[in-house]
Amino acid sequence: MPDPINAAVNPHKEAEELLPWYATGQLDPEELALVDDHLASCAHCRRQLAVERRMIHEVAALTPEIDSGWERLRQRIEPRAQARHGWHEKAAADVAGLWHAFARPHVAAFAFAQLAFVVVAGSVLLSLSRPSYHALGSAPAPRSANVIAMFRADTTEAQMRTLLRANGASLAGGPTSTDAYLLRVPPRSRTAVLAKLRSDGHVVLAQPIDGPGS
Amino acid sequence: MRAGALDEAELLERIKAHDVDAFERLYRLYQPRLARFLINLLKRPQLVEEVLDDTMMVVWQTAASFRGTSKLSTWVFAIAYRKALKARARWPDPVEEEPHDVRVSNDPLPDADLERSRVHDALRQAMASLSAEQRAVVDLTYFHGLGYRDIAEILSCPVDTVKTRMFHARRRLKQALSGTLADWL
Repeated sequence: MPDPINAAVNPHKEAEELLPWYATGQLDPEELALVDDHLASCAHCRRQLAVERRMIHEVAALTPEIDSGWERLRQRIEPRAQARHGWHEKAAADVAGLWHAFARPHVAAFAFAQLAFVVVAGSVLLSLSRPSYHALGSAPAPRSANVIAMFRADTTEAQMRTLLRANGASLAGGPTSTDAYLLRVPPRSRTAVLAKLRSDGHVVLAQPIDGPGS
Repeated sequence: MRAGALDEAELLERIKAHDVDAFERLYRLYQPRLARFLINLLKRPQLVEEVLDDTMMVVWQTAASFRGTSKLSTWVFAIAYRKALKARARWPDPVEEEPHDVRVSNDPLPDADLERSRVHDALRQAMASLSAEQRAVVDLTYFHGLGYRDIAEILSCPVDTVKTRMFHARRRLKQALSGTLADWL
């Protein structure tokens, strides 16, 4: 078996190793001269060069056809391109991004497993915790997100945690494909929290996603 | 080629300013090349789309960090290669290759076409028998026309490793095409 590692001490091996890049015109002048000199005296390498050139042609002919996915990618980048130009579009794109993520086979499989677990666990918990009677208005409000926020790229997890705690906010989802986070802030102080988040140097964007509110 | 490089540099500057039109132009320049590179590594069209999109997302999001110490194509392909390796770790190659022959007619092929079809089948099988790293080197050399130093940067390995992989890959391809090689000389 030829050992290409020893090529440096064997001009024939060195030239033979470089033939693919000689054939594609990718050698520097010194290497080019080395291979040219060797080809002048080596019939074996001249034959190999003919094979290389044909191989380039044939390998190029194996081009697979793959559809362009620009529109799919555009869905993911458009909100970033329009940063600070409308949170509605951004939120919609985040939903699209999440959908894109869930459309991926491995994520979908994981999500399905999670969903199955939640359904089963939820059924069990419901049967254990069902109250004996219901009063109007007694059901707790679901802890859904009411704010979408984006942080500067260099914000650390500790800084984010401190900021959320200081504002009584909790993480409800994310990061989305556009690196946005869904937050739950106390509804009554939402306006004040939004103002504090927006004034923080780590926050790029903070917008309500449950309507104008108070 | 030089004009193309200048165009790419200009596109990159516009992408750094979050110009979506410039990004679309860059995407359309790279999509066919990346798709081909990735299908040789991943063999699953759905996974190729995913990795290609993720690669271009990284380009979009981190364009400002590209310092120009390497070619733009080297940087983009290196991102794609790292993404592909991660995808391969999650989704190993399918056990059986998907059939490549898409002919629907049973009419006999002319002799020249028959020979060409036979060579391509043999070449596809030989390529499939290579390791993913060898396939990457072969494709980046023969199809994308990259030098071994650029390939070493993309694959994040020493240049001697690129040469060694290419050396052994060429030998396997030649073995697979042994019946045809005489016609090429």
